[in-house]
Amino acid sequence: MLFHVNTSSGVPVYLQIEGQVKHAVAAGALKQGDVLLSVRKLAAELRVNPNTVARAYQNLESHGVIRAVPGGGTYVADCQPGLLKSEKVRRLRPLARQLAVEGAQLRLAPEEVVKLLEDEMNGLGGRR
Amino acid sequence: MTELAISSQGLQKIYPQVRAVDGLDLNVPRGAVYGFLGRNGAGKTTTIKTLLGLVRPSAGAAQVLGLDIRKDHLAILERTGFVSETKLLFESLTARQLIRFNRGYFPKWSDALAERYAGLFEIPMDQPFRKLSLGNRTKVCHLLALSQGADLLLLDDPTSGLDPVMTDLLMEILIEDHVNEGRTVLFSSHHLSEVEKIAEWIGILEAGKLLLEARLEDIRQNFRLVIVSGDSLLMLAAPNLVFHKRAEKFSRFLVSYDAEEFAAKLRGEGATVLEISPVNLGEVFLGLAGKELPCMPGSAGTTRATA
Repeated sequence: MLFHVNTSSGVPVYLQIEGQVKHAVAAGALKQGDVLLSVRKLAAELRVNPNTVARAYQNLESHGVIRAVPGGGTYVADCQPGLLKSEKVRRLRPLARQLAVEGAQLRLAPEEVVKLLEDEMNGLGGRR
Repeated sequence: MTELAISSQGLQKIYPQVRAVDGLDLNVPRGAVYGFLGRNGAGKTTTIKTLLGLVRPSAGAAQVLGLDIRKDHLAILERTGFVSETKLLFESLTARQLIRFNRGYFPKWSDALAERYAGLFEIPMDQPFRKLSLGNRTKVCHLLALSQGADLLLLDDPTSGLDPVMTDLLMEILIEDHVNEGRTVLFSSHHLSEVEKIAEWIGILEAGKLLLEARLEDIRQNFRLVIVSGDSLLMLAAPNLVFHKRAEKFSRFLVSYDAEEFAAKLRGEGATVLEISPVNLGEVFLGLAGKELPCMPGSAGTTRATA
């Protein structure tokens, strides 16, 4: 089973699901055209409210990660869509800021933080 | 058809010794999973029984599935699956006999579901109820409530006595067979992590009054804990203030929206805003219903843990 949720983490459950789908796609565990569980099935599997899963799926669809065919299931969409570079950067900036803050807090040198990030990117493997 | 599965207006149940339900305005949307929270003795059980017409209200009104609780309680009972806090059924009957006894009362009863739940819950079907463990009693109560084809489930502490595997199974069944079919579920619970996963709405009850009724998503998105330090803080009567706690020179405010604006006002009063952070259900619950430990001698100068 690919996804799991943790209610004590403080991260909203729909964001956890979104993040895990994105991670699975980035890591190549989910490939273009792969079928995702229906909202109802995934909700029952994770024991979460179906509206929570529906919300994650809606966001993923609007981000172009997945594609819902009315009455025909949900699929992993073809590659990252034609988002403008500036939009991609805008979406990533809050995470980059958080990384910078945590890094500074722990007194890591900028190169060490960048190295860490590179390791993680390399660790993803899959298609990029 | 109304939009609400349950609604009450100023509902009261006054016993000689206690105001068990004290002016309750409850709104449970159709198709929602509603987590009904409160400390022991807050009035959850009395509220649920009053909604079912099992207890007569002292004042106020309520509608369940569009039916009046004072006039239509038989129709309400027919369409509502109820698991009581005490999990009591006829002691001498076996689960199999209880099914035969119950099914006749409910026009939409499903034998197929009853059989499915008997198997999933691993219920000893031929043991008299009085010989069953608390866990197995709870499971029989669920089997009966979940098989009756109800539009509404009122579950009073539904996981009491269940082991983690059975609790997990119950959650899966509730979602798969009931929530996914558009039925409404209201359940009381002390297990906030369960509630946080499955519920869409929560109501927090204390001394018979609803302290908070909100969509969980709204709590995650908009509720913020604002922690400040400052000596002379005025208690703010802001409409978005849910609670305020003070310990030595630190104050914690829970606000339901516009946290940044609220913090700006506090800064205007000379306070230093230390943190504006999202909250989880546990923090909201403890903040509203929790008790603070009395200040112990010798702890002066340290920050007291806020419940």
